[in-house]
Amino acid sequence: MDVIDVIVKIITWPPLWQLVVLGLVAPLGVVVGILWFERKTAARVQRRFGPLHVSPRIGGAIQLIADLMRYAFQEIIIPKTVDKGVFLIAPLTALVLSIVPVVAVPFTSVSHYWPIPMEYSVLISLALSTISAIFIVLAGWASNNKFSIIGGMREAYMITAYELMIILAILSVSAMTTSYNFVDVVLAQTGGKWFIILNPLAFLAAFISVLMATSGFPFEIPESENEVVAGPFTEYSGLLYGVNMGAAYIKRFVYSIFITLAFLGGWLPYQPGDGFISGYLIPSLVIIVKATILMAVFSFLRAVYGRYRLDQALDFAWKLLFPLALMGFGLGLLEAYIGLIG
Amino acid sequence: MSSSEVIEKIKEALGDIIESIEEGKGVVHVFVPVDKIVEAARKLKELGFDHIKDVTAIDYPKENVIKIIYHASSYGNVELSKYIVGLGYSIPRDTERVPSLYSVWTTADFQEREVYEAFGIVFEGHPDLRPLLLSPPVAELKPLRKDFVVKEETIFRK
Amino acid sequence: MSGFVSTRGQVGFNDLKIPGAWSRKIGKDLYEVFIGPQHPGSGHMRIIIRIDGDVIVEADPDMGYVHRTMEKLGEGREWIKGIPLYERMAIHDACNVTLPYVRAVEQLLGIEAPLRAKYLRVLLCEINRIAAYLYGFGIFGVFVGHSTMYMWPFGDREVWIELADWLTGARLTHSYPVFGGVRRDVPADFTNQLRKAIRYMRKRLEEYRKIYVDNPVIRARLEDVGVIPKNLAIELGITGPNLRASGVLYDVRYNDPYEVYDELDFEIPVFQEGDALARVWQRVEEIKQSLRILEQVADWLDKHPREPILHDRFWKTAPPLHKKIFETEGRAKLVPLYALLKVPKGKAYAKAETARGEITYYVESDGGQKPYRVRIVSASARNAIVFKYILPGHRVMDLPTIYGSIDYFPPEADR
Repeated sequence: MDVIDVIVKIITWPPLWQLVVLGLVAPLGVVVGILWFERKTAARVQRRFGPLHVSPRIGGAIQLIADLMRYAFQEIIIPKTVDKGVFLIAPLTALVLSIVPVVAVPFTSVSHYWPIPMEYSVLISLALSTISAIFIVLAGWASNNKFSIIGGMREAYMITAYELMIILAILSVSAMTTSYNFVDVVLAQTGGKWFIILNPLAFLAAFISVLMATSGFPFEIPESENEVVAGPFTEYSGLLYGVNMGAAYIKRFVYSIFITLAFLGGWLPYQPGDGFISGYLIPSLVIIVKATILMAVFSFLRAVYGRYRLDQALDFAWKLLFPLALMGFGLGLLEAYIGLIG
Repeated sequence: MSSSEVIEKIKEALGDIIESIEEGKGVVHVFVPVDKIVEAARKLKELGFDHIKDVTAIDYPKENVIKIIYHASSYGNVELSKYIVGLGYSIPRDTERVPSLYSVWTTADFQEREVYEAFGIVFEGHPDLRPLLLSPPVAELKPLRKDFVVKEETIFRK
Repeated sequence: MSGFVSTRGQVGFNDLKIPGAWSRKIGKDLYEVFIGPQHPGSGHMRIIIRIDGDVIVEADPDMGYVHRTMEKLGEGREWIKGIPLYERMAIHDACNVTLPYVRAVEQLLGIEAPLRAKYLRVLLCEINRIAAYLYGFGIFGVFVGHSTMYMWPFGDREVWIELADWLTGARLTHSYPVFGGVRRDVPADFTNQLRKAIRYMRKRLEEYRKIYVDNPVIRARLEDVGVIPKNLAIELGITGPNLRASGVLYDVRYNDPYEVYDELDFEIPVFQEGDALARVWQRVEEIKQSLRILEQVADWLDKHPREPILHDRFWKTAPPLHKKIFETEGRAKLVPLYALLKVPKGKAYAKAETARGEITYYVESDGGQKPYRVRIVSASARNAIVFKYILPGHRVMDLPTIYGSIDYFPPEADR
């Protein structure tokens, strides 16, 4: 066995593959594309050019890489008044914790390529995805800045608004398939019976609550620039600020993968075969492409909507989204009862 | 309603409080003694002059007098809204305290703070008298009085 | 009171005996937040708010960060130099802001501008008004997080600024009205381009409505926020579109017409609700009326031949050389016409409707070459009082909404 084989083996070891390649590298590539798309579409709507001067021939597509380099080499300023340990650890922990749920979802139906046993993957991945928000609140608290604390408190309020809805909306597919296993959920959608068609209510609830969870417009409340500067991240600079932003995008990417698996048919219509490429690589790519399209839809709303007020967002969540998610859940149960699924 | 009718109305309402009436272009100044100012303002407000457009102070060092004028007008009464009535009083330049008209016209809140910081005249009865635009050290110099001369730099050699 | 000593070495806070120069206690369980002056959500001003949870209990607008002592500087300059000085208050609204000063001095001089000059003044005033409203829309768009509404009005404002540039030779700070007339006549083909701009703007207003004013999220943010009831609006003496959105019919152009506004056919829109949404609608409607005025002015300018745009009085004092250059080349320098102008003793009070409301000038002359006293109260200075009396009771997130809907402009307020 030569060295390359060993390296390939290590990289393609499912936990590592999903954590590093699908959880870190793929979002980075997607983010570069999505941010470019977001800025270009917004610019088109607003009659501007958007990114242009870095690589003018391809329309400024690598602008974000230039921005990332700037963040990477910027001085990291740690104010005297902050709680240093927590201030440093919080964004890094948030980043790691927002990647971790990727390990708990299947990217293929071949059990050989699952990082963990998938019996309860819906529950485990949802549970893991909810932890990272706490560290954003913590980052705001450690910053010892009034705007950071207000931003952190807003994030805390928003957690109460979206967390239950997101779990309810995604669990409605478990009700439909009577299984906590994402693989079963995906396989039940074979033959074009994607759950977005069968249960649009739950999909809508999941979509909106992901917008809330990741500070997308019109729910860009914790970081809203005009009231709280940059919210919990006001005191962060340089790479640490980049880590914060990266964590937010990865979080959105992970939620997009959840929605893809639960409602958009996962790796379907592709049928995973044997071997690494057809059994693991291609299904992962299908999922990533679907998630990317979903993220593009998320970012398109930026040009169209302003932002809600905090109390209006909470109102919206509990008075409209909660009933919607419940109705989605009920609809799922009904469809399972009359035997529409499987 | 013509401007002379407005003046007649004011004369009627204020009666013998009035010390003198001066007419300018587009404005009538009615001067009253400083201790009757609140009473006069109340009567003017009853006439329909429901807000003030500005509080103006003018320094006359030669006559040793500062005039403080409240330019009042009306929003509620369309006929009166054309006219500006300046209700004012003269005080010696070293006067420190004068009554505030905040209780009559809420608009005077910020305007009196402006006069206070620029002329160093304290309005008694104002709920929150602080400098508005200037920082306190500058306000202490009473910059809008005529004896504060602005030193402007021109081209100069050391 | 801490041991602060002024860096200039004159007076320290410790030595001050004047009221208001010391620190104040805030209530128990309150959280004090300084919004501004470097805060992205405010202009060059600070609003000190004290919040209880998410609700503002006390607001203290702290103005003066761009105070340029215009009243004092005005006393030390010749009459004509006041025009470029005072228009620094609101550079994109320069004609509206300086017009009452010019008119006050004209009243003291006892002269009146020729009819064509009056129409030209109205022309630039309305162009300025539209540009200033669009600026306000853009800022408001940022405040509620609507980036498209930030970019669109700023782009469309360029149309009006280009027109003003073409008319006066300056994009901003036009110094266009001078005592007894205006500086320039319209260029050839100006009115056709103006009509094109009017058509374009009408189309764009409809698009603004679709994406912004009727946007459900924006409506949710604006409706019933920052309500100023009619009686409170009168009591606080606020002015301009904010006053009219609260149901008070008061517009200087209507109540006390100046220039040729009494000959033009336009309406004063009035809204009864008094909330932030009504203030936005108010501005949309007023742009429509301004477009109407501009159409009529364009028609008038087309129909009437070119005639002098400056009062004869100034030509009498002009040096012969200047008269000769003017006759051959059609242009003249203003300086000899105005440099030694003496204004008769007296006092005058003039007002005008700027984009943000009424501006008033009290001008007093002692018969010399410089004003004795100029008292300026601009629209934003009078509207600033809203923050103190309206903000308490609202949520922190309503602050940018109210700030933007008032269309507060710090340089104008600080003078």
